[in-house]
Amino acid sequence: MKGGGVVIRVALGAIVPAAVLVVWHFASVGSVVVPSIAAVLDVLAHPLREPPNLDATSLADGAVASIVRVALGFALAVATAVPVGLLMGRCRLVTDALAPVIAAAMVISPIAWMPVAIITFGLASPATVLHGEAAWRHGLLDELRFAIVAVVWFGAFIPIVINTAAGAKGVRESHLEAARALGASRWQLLRKIILPGAGPAIMTGLRLGGGIAWRVIIVAEIFPGTRGGLGYMITTAHEQAAYEYAFASIAVICLIGLTLDGLLRLAEARVARWQPKER
Amino acid sequence: MIRFENVSKRFVTPGRGDVWALRDVSLFCPPEELTCVLGPSGCGKTTLLRIAAGLETPTGGEAFVDGRAVSGPPGSIGLVSQEGDLLPWRRVVSNVALGLEIAGLGRAARERQALEAIRNLHLPPEIARSLPHELSGGMRQRVALARALCPNPRVLLLDEPFSRLDDFTRSSLQGELLELWLADRRTALFVTHSIEEAVFMADRIVVMTFGRVIRTVPVTLPRPRDRLSDAFVKVLLDVRRALAEHDRAAGPGDRLR
Repeated sequence: MKGGGVVIRVALGAIVPAAVLVVWHFASVGSVVVPSIAAVLDVLAHPLREPPNLDATSLADGAVASIVRVALGFALAVATAVPVGLLMGRCRLVTDALAPVIAAAMVISPIAWMPVAIITFGLASPATVLHGEAAWRHGLLDELRFAIVAVVWFGAFIPIVINTAAGAKGVRESHLEAARALGASRWQLLRKIILPGAGPAIMTGLRLGGGIAWRVIIVAEIFPGTRGGLGYMITTAHEQAAYEYAFASIAVICLIGLTLDGLLRLAEARVARWQPKER
Repeated sequence: MIRFENVSKRFVTPGRGDVWALRDVSLFCPPEELTCVLGPSGCGKTTLLRIAAGLETPTGGEAFVDGRAVSGPPGSIGLVSQEGDLLPWRRVVSNVALGLEIAGLGRAARERQALEAIRNLHLPPEIARSLPHELSGGMRQRVALARALCPNPRVLLLDEPFSRLDDFTRSSLQGELLELWLADRRTALFVTHSIEEAVFMADRIVVMTFGRVIRTVPVTLPRPRDRLSDAFVKVLLDVRRALAEHDRAAGPGDRLR
């Protein structure tokens, strides 16, 4: 499709969302449970408003809490999974030692670890570490409960480590030899050949890991015993039957998720731009 | 100079058992000479070059580059392989500058030298910012040559650098390489399976089959060499005859591996 194709594609893409909105509208008329579109838009239009009957902070606070949790968990996952993946890709012994564990970990939903994370970390957060009893005064730091961050870390770690290992393993021997012939040290081989050679695969891992991290955080926040974040807002809106807040949370989750995915896709394309396009 | 003393190399391959790529090869590549190792595919010529480069350890014997026994890549050699093996994520200029970068030279200095090396190989300066996949095969091999020559190595090792190119590009690159080589006459080991290429380039041709050196032919023709001259054709036929005689003499068991 060329030229006018864009209009057609946008129109085609809009069919299902439009149908959903229509169904939603008729479902909400006269219903006490299904919120009206207008009510949800009203919540979205006032992101800083504290929900009157809910045990939750504002929508914006919830979004910030979820974002910082994902940011920390994801950053820790990158910092650990990339070195481990590089080692796995370049060293047979490390692969043999870790591959079974990773294969097993891959089939377990990260959320299943939530109870383990909670009994391990309890209510600990950077705030409790830094400020002890007065932790609750340090809102955002206290939102970074280690239990939740650990589950996000786990969710992102797996795809990053698998893709990094595959990328490092796929680095061409002849590229390594070209650098070795020019006198490269092991460290230089890692920096100048293995890391850039594995770059596109690492970025694919980061994009997949980022997507999983964002999905995991919402469920982790819905998990009993946790507080704060967009997931928690969904739980409490459900408990109080204030569904306009749940629907608004879903819209924000979608928006942030799409933004995150778009940014990671851009980064991935940038790192992989040296690869000739398949035709 | 490069010297091989009784070098053997055995590869252990699953299914086929042991394969001797080199058997007791002794060879001397004198300084200021271009030595061509000529032979059919699988004769061990690439293995020989890789041993000189320190990328392969001999099973027996030893290789020396500039009088020092080779143990691992010495860093003072320029290596060009069949496919050039440019790093696809690096632009031409930083591919050429790779050796200088590894040696720890600053960015400005190494870019200046890299651009000079690019010019020396008659590459248009505007390709300096291109990525390897945007270049033709001939240009890529020129860039690979520039990368090998840029750190000014004492020894040049070329592993069938032009074998993937079309005839026209190949003969013009042969001429250019020779011109560059004549300017400083660094010790060069050039591996090829083309008899004509060997006669055109070499000061001496080392003919190999089945992991053994069967003949060394000095080529004293003045350069530039005329491929159509009687003298050129005579050397060509000499080499061809040596290969044919060896083929006749060799038992069938020697041929099947």
